[in-house]
Amino acid sequence: MTALSPLSPPAEPCPVQNALPNRARNAEIRRGIKASLPVMIGFVPFALVLGAQARTKGFAFAEVPLMTGLNFGGGSEFAAVGLWTSPPHLLLILAVTLLVNSRHILMGATLAPFLRHLPRRKVLPMLFLMCDESWAMALTDAKARQREGRAVVFSLPYYLSLSIGLYLSWVVFTALGAMIGPVLGDVTRFGFDMAFPAVFFVLLRGMWKGAATALPWAACALVAGTVYATIPGAWYVPAGALTGVITAWLIAGRRV
Amino acid sequence: MDALTQGWPIAPMTLAAILLMAGATYATRITGYLLLGGRQLSVRMQSVMDTAPGAVLIAVLAPHYATGRPADLAALALTAIAATRLSLLPTVVIGIGSAAVLRAIAGG
Repeated sequence: MTALSPLSPPAEPCPVQNALPNRARNAEIRRGIKASLPVMIGFVPFALVLGAQARTKGFAFAEVPLMTGLNFGGGSEFAAVGLWTSPPHLLLILAVTLLVNSRHILMGATLAPFLRHLPRRKVLPMLFLMCDESWAMALTDAKARQREGRAVVFSLPYYLSLSIGLYLSWVVFTALGAMIGPVLGDVTRFGFDMAFPAVFFVLLRGMWKGAATALPWAACALVAGTVYATIPGAWYVPAGALTGVITAWLIAGRRV
Repeated sequence: MDALTQGWPIAPMTLAAILLMAGATYATRITGYLLLGGRQLSVRMQSVMDTAPGAVLIAVLAPHYATGRPADLAALALTAIAATRLSLLPTVVIGIGSAAVLRAIAGG
């Protein structure tokens, strides 16, 4: 009963989550807001670049917050904007979004054991707000509370206030980027188009998992580059991505 | 078609793309909780999931590195090195600055 593995459910699930007294809940909300502030600020430059870049690709102003507010996944939005044409290639955008966000599947699976005391009707809406940062912070927090032996391991008010802060920051600042982007003019003049790979490289640093990622990513770059140079259209994206994934699959089999 | 798009701030095809993205992303967010909660993924699947997002981003970048323009490649390499040790803003500044300077030197 007290021996807890990192992924086991809370020892004594609180039967009524709302039983948290108001004062304790307000403290959890404040804790969430405090934790989200630095990350909210960290989102700002990404959001501004995305909003401005989307406008140069032909997005109308209102379409930018519509995308970032309904999708709320930065990596997939940068990928979609990078591949954007007028009109957009729907299947390509869909496939790339699924691939970029496939990591959410794993994230949701690792969070699931901590959510068993919550009803589905609460979990399904709250998962809409799960991004890399809110997931990492909520999971770290749940594990810390588990070590402290708390009855409610996953703090819903903490998670919600933290992730709503991140959500608002993303939507508001991508909209602002979309507003001021056209004022700045064509950002691909001079070296401004390099802002886009710069953002990707910083995102990639966060996805780096050591040597195991090096070979698949290199294979992907080689194939994507070759296909881009030889075959017209956007085939280089699925070709490169599939090469990377297959390489990862093969290497992992060799290691075990 | 013009009548449909005129005065309407959101183009139908754009709306369709955004709704597809939103549906796909939300599906990835709930799938792990609904289907995999508590189950252990195989090492291979784990490795594939770790690699896929980065591989897509690298593939999307292909037009930037497959151009064969030496100035662009050098600027890209400098930006990548910057990204390994700096935060976003200085990385973007170095990317833009190195591209501008190197392209001016290369005369293209």
